[in-house]
Amino acid sequence: MKSSPMIPSNDDAISVVALEKRFGDFVAVDRISFTVKRGEIFGFLGSNGSGKSTTIRMLCGIITPTSGSGSVAGHDIFRESEQIKQSIGYMSQKFSLYEDLTPFENIRFYLGIYSVPQEHWRERMEWILDMTQLQNVRRRLTRDLPPGWRQRLALGCALLHRPEILFLDEPTSGVDPITRRHFWEFIAKLAAEGITAFVTTHYMDEATNCRRIVMINEGRIVAQGSPEAIIAEACPEVPGADLNDAFIRLMARRAQ
Amino acid sequence: MNPRKIEAMMRKEIYHLIRDFRSLYLAFAIPLLLILLFGYALSLDVDNIETVVVDHDRTDLSRDFIRHLDASPYFHLKAYLSKADAVTEYLDHDRATLALVIPPGWTKAIRSDRESPMQVILDGSDPNFANITRGYVNAFIEQYNRRLLLAYLNRHGLQEIHPPVEGRIRVWFNEDLESRNFIIPGIIAIIIMIAGAMLTSLVIAREYENGTMETLKSLPLSAGEFLMGKAIPYFFIGLIDVLIAVLMGQVLFGVVMKASFWLMILASSLYLFVALTLGLLISNITKSQLVANQGAILLTFLPSLLLSNFVFPVANMPKILQLITRIVPATYYIEILGGIYLRNLDFDQLWLSFAVLTLMFMVLAALNVLMLKRGGL
Repeated sequence: MKSSPMIPSNDDAISVVALEKRFGDFVAVDRISFTVKRGEIFGFLGSNGSGKSTTIRMLCGIITPTSGSGSVAGHDIFRESEQIKQSIGYMSQKFSLYEDLTPFENIRFYLGIYSVPQEHWRERMEWILDMTQLQNVRRRLTRDLPPGWRQRLALGCALLHRPEILFLDEPTSGVDPITRRHFWEFIAKLAAEGITAFVTTHYMDEATNCRRIVMINEGRIVAQGSPEAIIAEACPEVPGADLNDAFIRLMARRAQ
Repeated sequence: MNPRKIEAMMRKEIYHLIRDFRSLYLAFAIPLLLILLFGYALSLDVDNIETVVVDHDRTDLSRDFIRHLDASPYFHLKAYLSKADAVTEYLDHDRATLALVIPPGWTKAIRSDRESPMQVILDGSDPNFANITRGYVNAFIEQYNRRLLLAYLNRHGLQEIHPPVEGRIRVWFNEDLESRNFIIPGIIAIIIMIAGAMLTSLVIAREYENGTMETLKSLPLSAGEFLMGKAIPYFFIGLIDVLIAVLMGQVLFGVVMKASFWLMILASSLYLFVALTLGLLISNITKSQLVANQGAILLTFLPSLLLSNFVFPVANMPKILQLITRIVPATYYIEILGGIYLRNLDFDQLWLSFAVLTLMFMVLAALNVLMLKRGGL
């Protein structure tokens, strides 16, 4: 059942209304609504099993929602999953790369799958290898590279086809703090160019890099707004509370 | 279907293959090994039966009998024993499978037209082998009797004697009754199953185990493109294996195809597609390389070996098993190969088996696409 059609603003990269996903009797995502603005760094936070991954999978066109409505990069999430997949980049720090392939071969794979026109291959390849600073190791096996380098490569592969929206699924797990800092600087640069970043993370200090955040627990949105607003709303009586405190409090509130 | 995406997928699969020594080994070394093993070891022909003889009679006739026996290609005279007890020794330790004991007075009995029994002892632990041996021994004795009879009649002035009934046996399709002519097509069927199903049974499970399947689902890649990219590299490996097997069959074992080479390639391609889609489906369902591999052995390799009319004749199986053999793809492929290799049949006579294989391929491919689509690809 689709609910009333909504009018997506041109500024919205992602917009969902009353989005629901059920697996049998189990409600994984319970009628959530939110929007993500173009060029925004958007944080999507929740504990394991909160419905976070299910939501991302619906937004990326991997699974079809049970009901509700939504659009990603201007495409309907019910009917246009192919177009959505072509206009987004999905990066997961652990799972995006083939470790028995070299960076060169990984990039080549993504160039083919995204059907980047062949005349651009050379230029894109050089662009990504320069940007990720992997020119010197382009012929080494990916499994032999340090985690931070692999992360840059995974991000590069997700950007090859110049997507409008970047889905970053726990992009920094297992990466050292300096590399993480560089990563977020890079994301900010992309956002300035108009690329939307939809990020999930378990590191709350990182989440403060997001302009806006949605917190989800047991399939429902428990808070949304800027990091400051969320902290102020969740822990009004605690001076100097941070996003970590707010997160723990919000996750506990629903469980009671 | 975008050919560029299929190509990207194929290229990636080929990298996996060349980086993983084990799968390459599985793809080429095992077929070679199988054809050598089966070709040389699994000969179902019986010749050079190890024979021991005890001659208590020691006459010209008994010695002549033994000489003829040794001259036959079916028997190999292992030892000439003096005591009957020694026979036990030889049979016990599997040094001989046939023993003949010629009793004292044997020649005298023959000459005086009395009954002249000779003891023939067979090792029955391999019933099949023992049966064939029994047939050979009977035939040999029969022939020897006839020789004696003719010699007797001729001596008494009756010349140009012809035996009343004489079967002129002519074997069709496999004139020398060489079991290799029938084994080589069977081995090709097994090899294709190994190259096709066992290898591809790993390839989707690997994506699930490494977590890369989730990333693939987020890419603009259709189930069809994904499957083609996965299957095509293995298709060519399978075809190379077929050519190796055909070539080795011809060079090492002298097994020559009687009908069209291209018809064989067509049948092999079709059967290979069935094997590939079956392997992919197993991979798709199990999502674990270990389980998929075991499943592939159980579901593809063993039925192809046991239930395909290759080693064990289907006609001798219980009804239920006979029904099961009708859904084993190798049954149809071996039927086609047998037709091509031995009977010189063409497509008009084999089309039904082609049709069944095509149907199997289409059903398996559709199931694969369905499963992947449900998973979000």
